Amino acid sequence: MALKQISSNKCFGGLQKVFEHDSVELNCKMKFAVYLPPKAETGKCPALYWLSGLTCTEQNFISKSGYHQAASEHGLVVIAPDTSPRGCNIKGEDESWDFGTGAGFYVDATEDPWKTNYRMYSYITEELPQLINANFPVDPQRTSIFGHSMGGHGALICALKNPGKYKSVSAFAPICNPVLCPWGKKAFSGYLGTDQSKWKAYDATHLVKSYPGSQLDILIDQGKEDQFLLDGQLLPDNFIAACTEKKIPVVFRLQEGYDHSYYFIATFITDHIRHHAKYLNA
Amino acid sequence: MEEESGEELGLDRSTPKDFHFYHMDLYDSEDRLQLFPEENTRRRKEVVQAERANESTGAGDGKAQRDLQEEVEELVHLYGLEDDHELGDEFVENMPRMGVSEYPPYGMKRRDPAREQRDWRLSGEATEAEDLGFGGWGSAGQCQDLREVYRYTHGRASEEYECYVIPEEEDEEEAADVFCVTCKTPIRAFQKVFDEHKEHEVIPLNEALESAKDEIHKNMYKLEKQIIDMENFANHLEEVFITVEENFGKQEQNFESHYNEILETLAQKYEEKIQALGEKKKEKVEALYEQLVSCGENLDTCKELMETIEEMCHEEKVDFIKDAVAMADRLGKFLKTKTDVEISTQPDFEDQTLDFSDVEQLMGSINTIPAPSAPVINPQTPNSATGSSVRVCWSLYSDDTVESYQLSYRPVQDSSPGKDQAEFTMTIKETYCSVTDLVPNTQYEFWVTAHNRAGLSPSSERAVYVTAPSPPIIKTKEIRSCEEAVLICWESGNLNPVDSYTVELTQAESPEASGVTESVVGIPTCESLVQLQPGQSYVIYVRALNTGGPSTRSEPATVHTIGSYFRLNKDTCHPWLTISQDGLTILRSERSTPTKEPPPSDTHFTRCVAVMGNLIPVRGHHYWEVEVDEHLDYTVGVAFEDVPKQEDLGANCLSWCMRHTFASSRHKYEFLHNRTTPDIRITVPPKKIGILLDYENSKLSFFNVELSQHLYTFSCQPHKFVHPCFSLEKPGCLKIRNGISMPKHVTFY
Repeated sequence: MALKQISSNKCFGGLQKVFEHDSVELNCKMKFAVYLPPKAETGKCPALYWLSGLTCTEQNFISKSGYHQAASEHGLVVIAPDTSPRGCNIKGEDESWDFGTGAGFYVDATEDPWKTNYRMYSYITEELPQLINANFPVDPQRTSIFGHSMGGHGALICALKNPGKYKSVSAFAPICNPVLCPWGKKAFSGYLGTDQSKWKAYDATHLVKSYPGSQLDILIDQGKEDQFLLDGQLLPDNFIAACTEKKIPVVFRLQEGYDHSYYFIATFITDHIRHHAKYLNA
Repeated sequence: MEEESGEELGLDRSTPKDFHFYHMDLYDSEDRLQLFPEENTRRRKEVVQAERANESTGAGDGKAQRDLQEEVEELVHLYGLEDDHELGDEFVENMPRMGVSEYPPYGMKRRDPAREQRDWRLSGEATEAEDLGFGGWGSAGQCQDLREVYRYTHGRASEEYECYVIPEEEDEEEAADVFCVTCKTPIRAFQKVFDEHKEHEVIPLNEALESAKDEIHKNMYKLEKQIIDMENFANHLEEVFITVEENFGKQEQNFESHYNEILETLAQKYEEKIQALGEKKKEKVEALYEQLVSCGENLDTCKELMETIEEMCHEEKVDFIKDAVAMADRLGKFLKTKTDVEISTQPDFEDQTLDFSDVEQLMGSINTIPAPSAPVINPQTPNSATGSSVRVCWSLYSDDTVESYQLSYRPVQDSSPGKDQAEFTMTIKETYCSVTDLVPNTQYEFWVTAHNRAGLSPSSERAVYVTAPSPPIIKTKEIRSCEEAVLICWESGNLNPVDSYTVELTQAESPEASGVTESVVGIPTCESLVQLQPGQSYVIYVRALNTGGPSTRSEPATVHTIGSYFRLNKDTCHPWLTISQDGLTILRSERSTPTKEPPPSDTHFTRCVAVMGNLIPVRGHHYWEVEVDEHLDYTVGVAFEDVPKQEDLGANCLSWCMRHTFASSRHKYEFLHNRTTPDIRITVPPKKIGILLDYENSKLSFFNVELSQHLYTFSCQPHKFVHPCFSLEKPGCLKIRNGISMPKHVTFY
């Protein structure tokens, strides 16, 4: 698992780096970004994973969200992986923006031809953390996860499927109930097949219902003017209702006037970093 | 003289200027320094000329003249007047006159003394020139001059000459450059080689000069000191003179009065004795006279009887017999009556013992002092009083002898001047007294009289003393605190105003600081905001102070600087709410509340069923928690003190609140300020809401305490201090927890 450094830039006293490695899970070269705060020079820091949304690479978050200052201050190592395997030469992988390349949906595909490469869930929850823990000054016991849109969905399912693995979770405009939204239906049927009962294993709203109740503080920000919210792709109300039912703590903030963009993310990224820092640095 | 100065002027021009040499450091006066060059140049030339012209003739005269000069110099030296120009000039002026009578060549004589001085000086210069090297020898003329001078000096070397000239010369003629320690004389360096100083120890003149100067300065200093001492002593003597005069006057008066008294007493006694003696005499004389009269009568009777008997003897026998019988009876009777011949009154007077005891007493009392003068009562010593006592001090005149004092006092009351307050008097031996059982914070008027055998002094002036105040009473229920400070209020505990208050703080339960008491003094009002250390316990006392002193400590109050502590302000309470005894629980009871709203008010809430807390006015962090029922409709937050009391909380710019409403099994959470709220959904209803007010970052945050969940943060800019506010829209109960430390998760916001 050799790491190849692609870039390294000083930022708020720390370093924003991009690495490339050969992923076992995904059978391809994968890039990921990692921010090492100044604190990482002297000791182990908590790790915070960011999962990006549809069409994104590791670059979008690190160049647009402006998270560095908060991460630097709180001393968090922030890891931003790519959103899917790339260059696997699977037929149809580049046909649409919401499926295939840039749209891994953080599931382990079971269907051909995707099942060999599209194992983003295992990559995010197993392979990447091992890589990070082995190569960077992070404390594996202190890990949190957050994401945006499809990444928000990814963050929620990773947290809900692994009680105790993540200290906290948060999301910007997450796809909360993919089994009921067009994006989710398309992706899940492609990666997981037509058996919708299998889909529920990757659906946050359904996962909440069986969540064993280890404490998890969920922060969700949602732009009120988000087109995808209006299109019924995100369905946060279902998730909130389920959490209310199951008494899973969620603070859902419907932000007046904001859309789905990184401008929205940049506005509230500090709140989210603090949300995680509160648990990671407790 | 004019001739001479002309000569001088002419010579001046040819004088080699670079040949001046002076020991400048010998002279302090600046003007003298300026004076020298000209003078010296002039004189030196003069000398050279004088020497050339008058060497032969001047020798004899010069010698005589020198003797004179010597005398003068000696005199000058004797009186320490070398520096005194007036005197020196006088001598110099006197000399020529003497010279005139003895030695007609006037001009020569006039010049001579100067010449003598200049001679050695010049030779000194020559020596210096040698010392300096040969730069000075460049001019042939100068060479010639110097050689002559050199020769001249050596030719004339004599002990006498050296002795009188060198040490005693008038200032400007200095030219010696070393100091012979043995002879205590400044000499020229070359003399060391040729003269009797050969074997002597010499030091540089400057060094000798310095030490001599030091010595003189030391002596001067001593003299100065002595002068001051003597002046002081003279002043003291003067004072003693005056005192003697005064004491004499007093004593004289004293004696006069005493002796007068004694004389009067003696005169009186004399009068009394004389009168008594006279009466005795009269008595005696009267008694004797009486006896004499009765003796005379007796004699007459005897004589008559004799005559009658004689007549009878010449009578007839018959008649004789007859008469003789009658006569015998009569005679018998007469003889039977005793004739008293004892002297009833003694001529001696009884011995009168003269009683001088009272006089002796008076005599004795002359040696003691008269009745004392009025004592001087001291003003009250600050901080000498307690609440019930004052310590009164006074003093007597030093020459008074006092056996006891009478101290009287009464309370000063301007309210009822007509009514005479009871006066109290006590007898004291000392010149002070602690008067007890007084009323706190009250003024008393004291005066004192002194007493001895001779009598009572006049009364002293009246001095007003004041007792210390009563201790204040801390309003424990109004204590507010936070991590950094406490706001403590108290009641004066005194009817009359006091000067100030002191707050005393002791850190409790801290071994390293045990017993250390800090004080905040000079507090004019009945409240004080005191800065404290966080996370400590303090015991606080308050004292009231007036000029008399501090009161005893108030009852203690304990303050913990853990979190912020406040109580609900009942003045703001909506009538439908009930506040618990501890001021921390709000109850809106179930029973049907009156439908009619109470009338509007500025102090308490009338529409919104709310109450405010009294938060300490300190900019910093304040954290408190509210226990709520998850089905209760409540509003919690902060508001300015002047928030409109007839508006809902959050319905204006003066309040920031979290409102919970529970309707149709749905929880609704609003974070209201100026009627607007963000759209926030919370899935788990908090049972305990944490509220963090952060003045530093202008933030107000709400938390679900049990979940450590951050709910919302207002960015607010409170331009004034805000207070916690609470309202119950439905019957129920809110319980406030404060005075608790901030949970860690809260510190992230």
